[in-house]
Amino acid sequence: MLNLLKEVIKVGEATTKYPLESLDLAPGFRGKPVYNPELCLACAACTTVCPPNALAMDTDTEHGVRTWSLFYGRCIFCGRCEEVCPTGAITLSPDFELAAFNKNDLVVRADFKLLECRVCNRYFAPGKELTYVLALLEQAGLPGPEVAQRRSLLEVCPECKRKCNVESIKRVGVGNPVEVKR
Amino acid sequence: MTTITAPMHVSEQEAQLKLKLALLKDIRRSVYVYRVDCGGCNGCEIEIFASITPIFDAERFGIKVVGSPRHADVLVYTGAMTRAMRPPALRAYNAAPDPKIVVAYGACGCSGGIFHDLYCVWGGADSVLPVDLYIPGCPPTPPATIYGFAIALGLLKQKVSAEHYVEQEQEQVPLRFPTVPLDLRVALEREARRMAGYWQGRKIADQYLGYLANGDAQHIDEKIGELLNQADDPRLAEIYANLHRIYLDGSKS
Repeated sequence: MLNLLKEVIKVGEATTKYPLESLDLAPGFRGKPVYNPELCLACAACTTVCPPNALAMDTDTEHGVRTWSLFYGRCIFCGRCEEVCPTGAITLSPDFELAAFNKNDLVVRADFKLLECRVCNRYFAPGKELTYVLALLEQAGLPGPEVAQRRSLLEVCPECKRKCNVESIKRVGVGNPVEVKR
Repeated sequence: MTTITAPMHVSEQEAQLKLKLALLKDIRRSVYVYRVDCGGCNGCEIEIFASITPIFDAERFGIKVVGSPRHADVLVYTGAMTRAMRPPALRAYNAAPDPKIVVAYGACGCSGGIFHDLYCVWGGADSVLPVDLYIPGCPPTPPATIYGFAIALGLLKQKVSAEHYVEQEQEQVPLRFPTVPLDLRVALEREARRMAGYWQGRKIADQYLGYLANGDAQHIDEKIGELLNQADDPRLAEIYANLHRIYLDGSKS
């Protein structure tokens, strides 16, 4: 009996103090994905890789709004979103305290404005993404004036680009985009 | 065989909600939980049992897993609610004495999880039953489980809330490593992912690129040495050696 008591005292208490105290988590613990909308491009890379479709992107071309949404209730904490995000807008935090009484509390949304096509004036792509692409081109070594030219080309929606014949695309390229025949 | 004539979706009245709150107050130190597996992968079951083992010991709060829904105050539904499990799920719900608390447990229980759009799945416990508490996770860790019960019993407060951001005017996203050449960055990121897998690879590449971007290219050996001493992981040493070789090859040519 005495030996048993000694053993018990030696081993000590195995039970964690959580939830009365905070818990020590292992390094590399993948918890709640934390989203920083300021860094988000609305490029939809994360929504493409998300295995359970917890991340979704809804594009409203009528009103020119793209809505990004994350539903924690469906997230499997795989970290694919963190891996593919080009700007680091979404990162997995060690926070695991996600339980909620209401399903709506588990949803994060963000609205982004879409850019109008120069030719048909229809909304087609987020403006932030376009600016980022141009900055990347500049970093890759494209000279400044050429970047400005690219902008006018990139501000045309894919559909219009397809409609235009090769001749018109050339004209768009040299900075005369308005006279494109549809 | 018993046939079930319950409606497709059990809805609840306001009076029932009041009863539930009263129940939660009464059972504070003695919560009897019945677990219903509605087509899960058993990951959630393993975590539920992990949370009643000595390390996390849910029983110190009086939370006890019972073997029959007739004894239960709380029904924990795991799994994506397959078509075949809908009648048994309703049977367990009807067998539990009123008022009862229904918990949707795990990503599948909350919304169908990764199986949400399968043909044989209803998609979450709340597609069949009125759910009172959602515990997300795949599977929820034992602390997440205990947290869920703690907020239900009023020991802790709910942390998450719905968020909605709207893009501001003139928002611009900075480039991540503007001083590092694009092709070098791509080569480093690819190598790190090849060696360490997708998530860790990204982290390791970001760490290395951070050193490069801060202009510490000369002291990079020291920095990596420090890091490796801390991490004490031979695999990490090999990955950093490969990344550094790519950097040196790039700067030679």
